[in-house]
Amino acid sequence: MERMGEDGEDKLIAMARHIARTLGRTDTMADDILQIFSNFDGRFSREKLSDEHPALSSLERRLRAYVSSDRPIWSDSGAASEFLSALDDLIAAGGLHPRADDLLQQCMLRLEEEFRMLIEQPAGTIDSGDEEDDSDGEDSIPVAYPVADYDIIIDAIPPGTVADLHSIATRMVAAGFAKECAHIYALSRRDFLDESVSRLGIRARTSEELQATPWGELEDEIARWVRAMSVAVRILFPSERRLCDKVFAGLSQAADLAFAEACRGTAIQLLGFADAVAVVSRAPERLFKVLDMYEAVRDLIPEIESLFSDQYSSFLRSEAFAIWKGLGAAIRGIFMELENLIRRDPAKASVPGGGLHPITRYVMNYLRAACASRRTLEQVMDDDGGSGLATTDLDRPSSSLAVQIAWIMEVLQSNLEAKSKVYKDPSLSLVFLMNNGRYISQKARDGELGALLGEEWARREAARLRRWMTEYQRMAWGKVVAVLKTDGPGGGGSGKAMRERLRLFNGYFEDVWREQRGWVVPDERLREELREAAVGMVVPAYEGFLGRLRVVEGGRGVEKQLLMFSVGDVETRIGDLFQGSSSVRRP
Amino acid sequence: MPATDYQGSSSPFASIGRSILSIRRDQVHAMDGHHEHGSSQEQELDGFQRHAADLLHDLAGGGEELLSLPWIRKLLNVFVICQEEFRVILFNNRACVSRAPVDRLISEFFERNVKALDVCNAIRDGIEQVRQWHKHLEIVTVALDPSLRTIGEGQLRRAKKALADLAVGMLEEKDATGSALAHRNRSFGRSNHASSSRDHHRHPGGHFRSLSWSVSRSWSAARQLQAIGNNLSAPRGHEIVASNGLAVPVFTMSSVLLFVMWALVAAIPCQDRGLQTHFSFSRNFSWAAPILSMHERIIEESKKRERKNSNGLLKEIHQIEKCARQLSELIDAAHFPLPENKEMEIRQVAQELTQIVNTMREELDLLERQVREVFHRIIRSRTEGVAYTASHFRLRRNE
Repeated sequence: MERMGEDGEDKLIAMARHIARTLGRTDTMADDILQIFSNFDGRFSREKLSDEHPALSSLERRLRAYVSSDRPIWSDSGAASEFLSALDDLIAAGGLHPRADDLLQQCMLRLEEEFRMLIEQPAGTIDSGDEEDDSDGEDSIPVAYPVADYDIIIDAIPPGTVADLHSIATRMVAAGFAKECAHIYALSRRDFLDESVSRLGIRARTSEELQATPWGELEDEIARWVRAMSVAVRILFPSERRLCDKVFAGLSQAADLAFAEACRGTAIQLLGFADAVAVVSRAPERLFKVLDMYEAVRDLIPEIESLFSDQYSSFLRSEAFAIWKGLGAAIRGIFMELENLIRRDPAKASVPGGGLHPITRYVMNYLRAACASRRTLEQVMDDDGGSGLATTDLDRPSSSLAVQIAWIMEVLQSNLEAKSKVYKDPSLSLVFLMNNGRYISQKARDGELGALLGEEWARREAARLRRWMTEYQRMAWGKVVAVLKTDGPGGGGSGKAMRERLRLFNGYFEDVWREQRGWVVPDERLREELREAAVGMVVPAYEGFLGRLRVVEGGRGVEKQLLMFSVGDVETRIGDLFQGSSSVRRP
Repeated sequence: MPATDYQGSSSPFASIGRSILSIRRDQVHAMDGHHEHGSSQEQELDGFQRHAADLLHDLAGGGEELLSLPWIRKLLNVFVICQEEFRVILFNNRACVSRAPVDRLISEFFERNVKALDVCNAIRDGIEQVRQWHKHLEIVTVALDPSLRTIGEGQLRRAKKALADLAVGMLEEKDATGSALAHRNRSFGRSNHASSSRDHHRHPGGHFRSLSWSVSRSWSAARQLQAIGNNLSAPRGHEIVASNGLAVPVFTMSSVLLFVMWALVAAIPCQDRGLQTHFSFSRNFSWAAPILSMHERIIEESKKRERKNSNGLLKEIHQIEKCARQLSELIDAAHFPLPENKEMEIRQVAQELTQIVNTMREELDLLERQVREVFHRIIRSRTEGVAYTASHFRLRRNE
């Protein structure tokens, strides 16, 4: 029998093995068959019939127990290391044999489960204020910097768990299962980020919903958003990055993929809010909140750039940038809307008494408040491809913002012009123009607004004011004074003519006084100037006239009967003007 | 009403910008009060109508299969082209645009546009949703890589799991989008997945996820479309005359906007999709025929049995559903060792799937970019529109 030759025996043994494998559908069955063979013939000894891949069988034995176990492998660190060590051997052996490959796939599926269970453990949560007393150092746990203002609960993953996750991740990546691993990781972290952002009071809002939201409520949402952005970019996302880098240490592509997937949704939701607000914010009163948002994003851009610098998350950078620019465009839109509102303010709404118009007050105070954010506004206006050249010429500033402000002033003044024409009395028109012009000049005299409008503008305004004043004098008092002129043709002459003049003067003066009694000049200095100018025009002329009248009448004192106003009275009455209908002193 | 007072020698605008403004101001005054030279403006408006019609005809009968990703991208392209031309028309007629009755028409038009922005955001979320499915499919194609000598049990297991994840993902989306009042159950605590079964999927009762970040839970695409199309009707003769002819391009552009948004909602998964939006365009308009034809074909598609409950009418979604179902059946029926003919079948379907997966990746990226671009263009065009109504003296060219 021994003379069958080695070949023959090998073939025989190979045949026996083949029979055992094909007939034996399970390992135990195959074993049984081999046992029968070996019992049958000494040549079919168990050793010789041991299979071709002893190493693989051994691995299978080591791994199958874990793969099919009901208990989590990682609930026992000893079990986990055994499992990993066997798995490493399997991976190292290369997966060419289908059995090996199948085994590998099963292990990977199991690892997915283990990974998921580990990462979703409700590990101890740490309040932001807590100290980390782990001697591993703060490096081991993604912890938020203690923030005084608000409660942030950072999902703390114990360093042991992180190490476990990492050990799983390395094997999964080595076996070509990086995507699955990153995906599970991201799902879990996304949940966490969603919750965090939700705690900060942020939820998805569409432009339409925002449009329907009352402004007060929206202001609150914006304030929450500014805070949430800061927390997200400065705390949450960096924490995620740190965690990612630990779990996927040495596996940079998987780390980037996982990080991008984890943060994407939250980042888009936050940035989307800014877009939605930008779209619905046209009303001028919204400027300040939109400026807040603009500044918030602007200040966070550097961090965003560095956070999302890998290939998978770089689109978030361009998103953030676009949204920043969008907020800028919204701010420019607000200024256009302001212009709109001024231009459309109806000319027929005139202020009785020619006083300060509400729109003047509104616009000037608005511009002053806006200019408090001058630096940001310059940035916003320049961004539109404007000249961007802020000249050093203080007289004539020409930065984009300066041009914009000056333009609004023009629109305002143009509107006031139209309003002034509504008054039937041209003198009242002029008082109206002077009142509003003075207010404008006062408000634009100093501060950022003044600097933006420049010296030349200020000089021009002053010149206009003076022109108006001169015109007012002429219009309001010209007639009164003209009647007192006694030199020249038609002047002088008989007492009768003079007395007639006096009567006319009385009438005119009374009329003018009555007309102008109700007029208002709120600015004290302007009020004085107007009174003084009027007094300066009327009183000397009156005094002179009275003097001449006495001479003509030759001291008979007839004029005393006609005299309605003493010089003092004239002064007093003029001094009463422009206080409005209240507090008129009886002469 | 020129502020002639302020054109004194000491003008504050020494910079060039101002002189351009003055030139424009003069131009405007020349145009003020009477029509532009009738023929050139008419030509421009007619040209726009014709061009829109041509583009839409090409879209309806061109090489791209209706509702496929390339077709959708072409659809968005058509929108962008029309919008650009429309912008130019607004610019050239800005004097008219800033006054009644056109100012009201334009402001209504921009209101529709704002509503469309929300659709863009929802669509973008939808594209991301499809990407998630795509990721599962990628895993399937890796598992069933044709370069593998044989398909082992392990690979099939992996593919099977990925297909199961895909199925769950698509089902979730249906749940989430099916009702506008779908409730996202937030659990602030973690549920401990002490799972005993290997096949346990991560769905503890009541917690399902919607990948919608950009719109709130109660947002409805169907409602939004209704709002976009609200009061949209062809301008009457006297309106056309009163608006200097501009009412027609405004109506055209609004209709194009509505159709584009409607088609996007039809194709891409999003919250509370609904296709009932009323489309009635008088066939007087040359562009109406292709729109109505495409509309009809899309409605037909939606009524087909196998597409009735689908997440989105996108051709590629249908292809995915079919391939995935086929593959799942084959895999479920597979016994080991795998007979060669069965293996061939599986490989074949896997091959089909690989082709779909490979082209989809780039197409989805391109589409997302395009949707973003449409979004930004709409915003930009609205800002310009506000500028026209704000002042026809000054114009700021955006970049």
